Amino acid sequence: MLKRRTFLTATLAAPLLMRAAHAAEDPIKLRHLYDRQALSDLAKASEGKRIAVDGYMAPPLKAESRFFVLTRRPMAVCPFCETEADWPSDILAVYTKRIVDVVPYNVKIVSSGVLELGAYRDPETGFLSMVRLVDASYA
Amino acid sequence: MKRTLISALAMTAAVAANAQGLPELQTGSDWFQAGETTIQELIAREQNTGRAKNVILMIADGNGVGTNYATRLYVGQQMGKLGEEHVLPYETTDYHSALVKTYNINAQTPDSAPTAGAMNTGVKQRFNLINLGGDAIHDDCSTVAGNELTTFAEMVAADGKSVGIVSTARLTHATPAAVYSKTANRNWEDEVPEGCTAQKDIAAQMIDAMKSGLIDLAVGGGARYFVPKDSPTANGGAGHRPDGLDLVAEAKDAGIQFASNKAEFDALSMDAPVLGLWTDSHTSYEADRPDSEPSLTDMTRTAIEFLSQNEDGFYLEIEAGRVDHANHAGNFARTAADGMIWTEAVALADEMTNDEDTLIIVTADHEHAIAFNGYCGRGTPIQGLCFGISKTGDKHSNELNLADDGKPYSVISYANGSGTILREDMDYSGQRPDVTQEEAMDVDYLQQALIPMSSETHSGEDVAVYAKGPWAHLFDGTIEQNVVFHVMNHAVNAE
Repeated sequence: MLKRRTFLTATLAAPLLMRAAHAAEDPIKLRHLYDRQALSDLAKASEGKRIAVDGYMAPPLKAESRFFVLTRRPMAVCPFCETEADWPSDILAVYTKRIVDVVPYNVKIVSSGVLELGAYRDPETGFLSMVRLVDASYA
Repeated sequence: MKRTLISALAMTAAVAANAQGLPELQTGSDWFQAGETTIQELIAREQNTGRAKNVILMIADGNGVGTNYATRLYVGQQMGKLGEEHVLPYETTDYHSALVKTYNINAQTPDSAPTAGAMNTGVKQRFNLINLGGDAIHDDCSTVAGNELTTFAEMVAADGKSVGIVSTARLTHATPAAVYSKTANRNWEDEVPEGCTAQKDIAAQMIDAMKSGLIDLAVGGGARYFVPKDSPTANGGAGHRPDGLDLVAEAKDAGIQFASNKAEFDALSMDAPVLGLWTDSHTSYEADRPDSEPSLTDMTRTAIEFLSQNEDGFYLEIEAGRVDHANHAGNFARTAADGMIWTEAVALADEMTNDEDTLIIVTADHEHAIAFNGYCGRGTPIQGLCFGISKTGDKHSNELNLADDGKPYSVISYANGSGTILREDMDYSGQRPDVTQEEAMDVDYLQQALIPMSSETHSGEDVAVYAKGPWAHLFDGTIEQNVVFHVMNHAVNAE
């Protein structure tokens, strides 16, 4: 039975849901941003657009951060903690709206944000990224 | 042709002789006929007791009996077969074989450094050390002096043979390093602790070996350990050497040809030693390899062409290093792709050499914590979810088997690793994710694992060794891993 409150919530939430649904309708796989070791046509075409990407949260480089690295598959080891050169090339830096609430590395998440391309060195961690999601959220 | 005809006649006679009284449905079965053919092939085997001019030691890192089984099914399934019946190039009766015990002196579960060292020196070694005797201690530079072992490469180079190394891992990584290096720590790839003068780092040892004429060809990954810290590598990354030495420049100055990609590799001349470094760290997984990077078969072909120029013969160690890495990642799809090209490299090496004078040994250094669930029907995709067994025909039922939790499960599980179903945020309890066949078949899928570990581990389970050529028949039964060296040594010295 549709209660009034449920109905109101549903109605009020509709615009948000619509947008979320659009982004989450068909999140792309992280690997589709790459063509081997170069950026894919999809990545180039999506620059500046809000997209949803599925993947896994690598163990954060720093506590209380607004930054994490999305990986194609679960990576329990923080590659950065070992040696910078051991990062896989096909990762996505994610700059979040809020301080990152850490999700275990083996739980799949969908990150939504605006795709940015080009080299950027994170001032706090020194992490150099070539592809980023900014103004991002994740679930 | 003549021999084949005689074998065929002998087979027919044997079947006729032994099959009396058996029903036609049995003797007429393809299984029965194939079984008879196999024993005739085994009976017709000849022992090659000649001297081996060339030795090719092919090591698929982490490709124990279980991983090799999975690769067999994967390769067969890629060819459109059900998979189980597939025969890998080294699984024919042309190859002799044995089981190999891989433990290290002080480790039930082996690591790749002492295992490769055992095959290259004839003695078992201690965990994380390379080519030092049993008194040496891990990470203790003071135990290096006086404990250095002589390697098979050093022995055959002294007899005039050429030596080559091919690897998809870093050339300073455990398995390739065991050809030339002696180190108290396998991780001293480009630096040793302060005050350690008894040995150089592994990269420096490799370039010394190339300059001295011990190694004639070394191709694989790992450029960063040959280039000064913060200097650019030819592959677009940055060097890592804290001592500031440019070993690539040193090699070039010594007249060694250098290549950093496939185009440069293909353009090399065949009259000077070869150093090829395709990547800053390990080469790409085969599933991800760009065309600009030589494949394992590309490297194998050029290495054999190059080394075959020496009339005195050669010793070539070829490693498929990333079979191991993908297993460590708990990601069987990549293990399989690297395993598949490995089998192609074995076939190529065999095709390019002569059984009369070339001993080819195909083995692994250790196994992984990989396991196989049942009961799956024939033709179940080995990297995917387990289908049920059909009552008729041979192919699976096309219906997923369900565990007691009502969820399907993959054929492969890892006992530990990052595919763990346990979650840190749930106090390391958990439940198995519900996975579709499509998800399980994805190249990035991690087969479910139990014990949470940052990297899936090796296991101490046996590996197989397969061999053809001079004295290959010495591989038989269940042997210690260091026996591999003794067969090679016997083969190159046979009168």
